[in-house]
Amino acid sequence: MSVIGECIVAFVFGSIVGLLVQRSRFCNTAALRDAMLFKTYRNTKPLLIAMMILTFGFTLFLTFGEGKAMHFDVGLNQVAGLFLFGIGMVLAGACTVSTWVKAGEGNVGAMWALLFTFIGMFLFSLLWTENFWPPASISMTGEPNLEALQFGFINARTLQDKFGVPAVIFGMVQVFLLGLIYRAIVKKEQAQQLEHDKAAAAHKVKLAEAA
Amino acid sequence: MVALTLIAVLDIFLFLLVGAWTVGGGETMITGLVAQFFIGDELSRIPFWNLVFVPDAGYWKIYISLGMLFGAIVSAVLSKEFYLRFPRRLGEWVMITIGGLLMGFGIRLAFVCNVSTFFGLTPQMNLGGYLAISGILAGAWVGSWIYKKVLEG
Repeated sequence: MSVIGECIVAFVFGSIVGLLVQRSRFCNTAALRDAMLFKTYRNTKPLLIAMMILTFGFTLFLTFGEGKAMHFDVGLNQVAGLFLFGIGMVLAGACTVSTWVKAGEGNVGAMWALLFTFIGMFLFSLLWTENFWPPASISMTGEPNLEALQFGFINARTLQDKFGVPAVIFGMVQVFLLGLIYRAIVKKEQAQQLEHDKAAAAHKVKLAEAA
Repeated sequence: MVALTLIAVLDIFLFLLVGAWTVGGGETMITGLVAQFFIGDELSRIPFWNLVFVPDAGYWKIYISLGMLFGAIVSAVLSKEFYLRFPRRLGEWVMITIGGLLMGFGIRLAFVCNVSTFFGLTPQMNLGGYLAISGILAGAWVGSWIYKKVLEG
């Protein structure tokens, strides 16, 4: 596909996502924060559903060698980086998607968060050098490079090549595990609802007695 | 629920055409282009902008971000939800500033953002996805703890 074609496809995709996220009020930050802080899962459940669909779809196409998988070495820098990101997104009250969407709604706080995301990226670029950990091309050899805390490149397709089992089989195991998490959340919500109903009923009895 | 199902299906199409949904890469390129606009060729003296992200306006990931902004504006205007809102207290501005910096720095350190983590790497069963999820869960926990302290304090 031509460069312009890619950009148009990306823009159309982004526009639809922006529309859907604005309407549904989905937020990745809330999916994690609310589950931890308030034990509510309104955003967590759709996230799990999307991950199940994507896991099946991606691994299915990877089985046939289709699709453009991300290809780079991974290592402990993913843990460290997303740890900082996790703190940041809760403090800012928005993740990468919701900063753009909320900025589009006229939320100046989100625009401010976006501005400082760019500044944070620029600050990092000043620290980066070619032979320095974190991820520098020199430490990315495609093989585990423990000295540089890099583990190489592994995904569903490399598992298929290594074990001769279709990637989609691994994918279905992951879908099943995500499904178990989903089920645990639904059970927890049912228990919360039961408790809520009980409390409401007790309150009603009290009101009746008072009257 | 319906919205995320639709997004997931569209993301599969995008994966087949150009690559899975991601935001961090586009944001980095925007950072580079803006920096280039202000300081010009001086920028290429910083190795990162010379070797990892050479500023290029034809980078498709930029247009996902711009699309999300556009889609959100259209949607907000149509549903009459567009109006300027400002954070009220100074504390909020401080938290957003620190949060933004941590997000930007974290994305570049990890090479991935939260979108690639949940909607790209993990569904491809890339090892980086699991590493990133363990990081973001720990980070969100610490962040929630700080948030709670600030709310109480």
